[in-house]
Amino acid sequence: MPDAYVIGAGQTAFGAFPERSYRDLFREAYENALDSVDRPPATNEIDEAVVGSLGVGGRQLGLSGPAVTEHVGLHNVPCSRIENACAAGGSAVRQALQAIESGMADLVLAGGYEVMSDMSDDVTKYWLGVSGETEWERLTGTTFSGVYAQMASAYLAEYDATVEDFGRVAVKNHENGAKNPEAHLDFTCTLEDAVEAPAVAAPLNLYHCCPTSDGAAVALLASGDVVDEYTDERVRVAGVGAASGRVGLADRESYTAIPASETAAETAYERAGVGPEDLSFAEVHDCFAIAELLAYEDLGFCDRGEAPRLLREGVTDPDGDLPVNTSGGLKSKGHPIGATGTGQVVEAFDQMTGLAGDRQLDDTRYGLTHNVGGSGGAAVVHVFENEEVGR
Amino acid sequence: MSNDRATDGGADATADDARRGIAGVGAYAPRFRLTADAVTEAWGQFHGAGISSTAVPDADEDTLTMAHEAASRALSAAGVDPASVAGLTIGTTTPPTEEEAMAPRLASTLGLNESIRSRQLTGSTRAGVDALAAGLDMDATRPDVDAAGPVLAVASDAPRGAPDDEVEHAGGAGAAALVLAAEAPGTVTDLAEHVSPYPGTRFRGRGEAETTGLGVTSYDRTAFTETVAAAVDALDADPAAADAVALQSPNGKLPYRAAGQLGVETDAIHRGTAVGDLGDLGAASPLFGLAAAIDDGADRVLLVGYGSGGGATAAEITHDGIHVEMTREGDEELSYGEYLRMRGDVTAGEPAGGGAYVSVPSWRRTIPQRHRLRAGRCPDCEALAFPPEGACDDCGALVEYEPAELPGTGTVEAVTVIGQGGAPPEFIDQQTRSGAYASAVVALDEPDAADGADGEEGGTNDGAVSIPAQVVGTDPTDVAVGDRVAATIRRIYTQEGVTRYGFKMQPMGE
Repeated sequence: MPDAYVIGAGQTAFGAFPERSYRDLFREAYENALDSVDRPPATNEIDEAVVGSLGVGGRQLGLSGPAVTEHVGLHNVPCSRIENACAAGGSAVRQALQAIESGMADLVLAGGYEVMSDMSDDVTKYWLGVSGETEWERLTGTTFSGVYAQMASAYLAEYDATVEDFGRVAVKNHENGAKNPEAHLDFTCTLEDAVEAPAVAAPLNLYHCCPTSDGAAVALLASGDVVDEYTDERVRVAGVGAASGRVGLADRESYTAIPASETAAETAYERAGVGPEDLSFAEVHDCFAIAELLAYEDLGFCDRGEAPRLLREGVTDPDGDLPVNTSGGLKSKGHPIGATGTGQVVEAFDQMTGLAGDRQLDDTRYGLTHNVGGSGGAAVVHVFENEEVGR
Repeated sequence: MSNDRATDGGADATADDARRGIAGVGAYAPRFRLTADAVTEAWGQFHGAGISSTAVPDADEDTLTMAHEAASRALSAAGVDPASVAGLTIGTTTPPTEEEAMAPRLASTLGLNESIRSRQLTGSTRAGVDALAAGLDMDATRPDVDAAGPVLAVASDAPRGAPDDEVEHAGGAGAAALVLAAEAPGTVTDLAEHVSPYPGTRFRGRGEAETTGLGVTSYDRTAFTETVAAAVDALDADPAAADAVALQSPNGKLPYRAAGQLGVETDAIHRGTAVGDLGDLGAASPLFGLAAAIDDGADRVLLVGYGSGGGATAAEITHDGIHVEMTREGDEELSYGEYLRMRGDVTAGEPAGGGAYVSVPSWRRTIPQRHRLRAGRCPDCEALAFPPEGACDDCGALVEYEPAELPGTGTVEAVTVIGQGGAPPEFIDQQTRSGAYASAVVALDEPDAADGADGEEGGTNDGAVSIPAQVVGTDPTDVAVGDRVAATIRRIYTQEGVTRYGFKMQPMGE
């Protein structure tokens, strides 16, 4: 089974670009991905494409994969769209990996896009809710902010945590995002801002919620058989894991853990032959502040109930033992649903190839990306390795 | 016209024993109040004579949900198993839909058999007392049903008028229900009716939402007093002997105007009316007054329903210990602006953009769950499932669940308050009208834990199954993890003109 490498990754800025088309965004991300490769492949060298999108707005719900690949001149290859709510991007990368490991493809495009800012608030909220459990859960008048807020209420009741801990996620991720030229909300905030913001769904307030963004991201994956043709600056996909989970919160055993994330992480660590203690950094799915706390525990960064301590002690700050969301995360960098997972891979690639600019970490041998769909109905975890650092 | 039921069947002792009396009474008024002062502040005057405040339904309440509240209390007060009920009569002037019966859904939410006889009476505020009369009429033996089974008579109403109209200022909201059963503590000793053509006192044209009247004061008063007096006169009863008179109360003055002609004391009228703090309860007015009077200790009550047109139905009720379960206290006063919002008068309704679509046929499939929280029990491992569909949560087997009835009580495990801007489109209407709402995950109690709060705090799931549910009937910010709650029925939302009714939870009484 050949190894798989990320040979390049690029994205558009995430933000509000209501006048841009999804194809236009995808093209920019694709060109940026090509630019990040030492010796970029010709488009017709790409063997297969997998594109993640929820299809927000209902535009091109059918054949939305070929609709963007044709726009960049990629024709006549296996191309499919993958829908896994907010985990669509991570799932696309995993699918690309499978194509390479199976030997069916040598060079695969994994991409994603979403356009969310060109609709009224009401229409946006409709699309935000369609990935929750729609027959029972949504009929209590919740969307994702409400469901994550319910998890937050259970977490506060169960552990020694406060809303200030949620605020710390915002402060850290905005601090990081302010250094990221591609970030949607590229400003910093104080803990006071993040604690006293207007409520969205108690106990979560505005600063505990990520924005909805427009954007696209593309990663190019190559098999070990051909990787040398394209680049020396590459990142090995050391492990991947994915799992499904109950779509509705009430059906889960616990409201203070996302079992799909736990399983995906266990699988990815096992395949990579590493553990959380080996990681140099992680990009986790912080759609809401509580989600970053749960991620620390689901991904094994700490024991249950210990996530607030990590934040209070700065463990996950850029200068801490395990920097988390150096890109700004979904909170600051933004969350264009179908592009979020591939966008995380862009940050991992940049951090491991020295392209992260003001956010650049030292000694990035192992990095992790963690992408969650809905409130935990799907999760994908990747572990990446910079083999140069290990030598 | 006199219809003396007490003696008609007197020759037949067996039939007499089987005659239904009143076994239990339930009454319900919403928790919101609009004061006369608040209306005066807005309009410079208040046309609800003798009324200090009116009850206002929440945005997700209507005459069907209030009927459910009252009827479930009446069944509980009577200690009657819903499955044993043989008949259901409903009286209202403001049904949720002008055409489409309330009884099938009300029977479903209450857990009545589908073989019941049901009648809906409307078109007159007299419809409430007429629901009692219609319930008693179900004594007539018919071969297809259990004629001896209990009958539920329910009155529910929320009259509306134009903003500056007396009907609007006086209009309240509430429901009352009686369980009629054999060998009951309460007896309807006699019942009489009278009609007299008095057009124009109170009417609502076809397709109109607001009730009005010509406002000819002396004419209206004559129509009322003459008609109710004639009905009472036809009763084989002494009005002066009544401890209380539960008399139709379109406002807080008219019933007292009739005291002289009825030959009753104003004190007795006072005991039998709830108009002062709840407003005009329309068809529910006399039955609610009856509930209040019995609750207040009255042993002999004169019940008089009146409706424009005009007509009256009178009855005398005596009892030796009817149980009453009543919720009537208000706990939140509304400003006039909040009132207009809550009634949906100044809100835009559901925005364009679509909502989570659950088709009516697919909703219908899940009605046992939506209306009665019916769970399923896995035949393989005995675990409970809600909804009872899909693979068993416990053993993973793909099974056909056996129906399992739950007590409808539970404990909040997780909760959020959905504030302005956080609601999905199909809940914008509820939110703009009623404000922030609590959305929770609730661990339902096991079937054998009906009475027991287990005192468990925190976010652990120790109930049989957990469900997502709104928590209503209280300030949403007061709902916390660990709270004990019980199911009720509210409007979930309305799409394509069809209202979906389903369970919500409310805090359990102490």
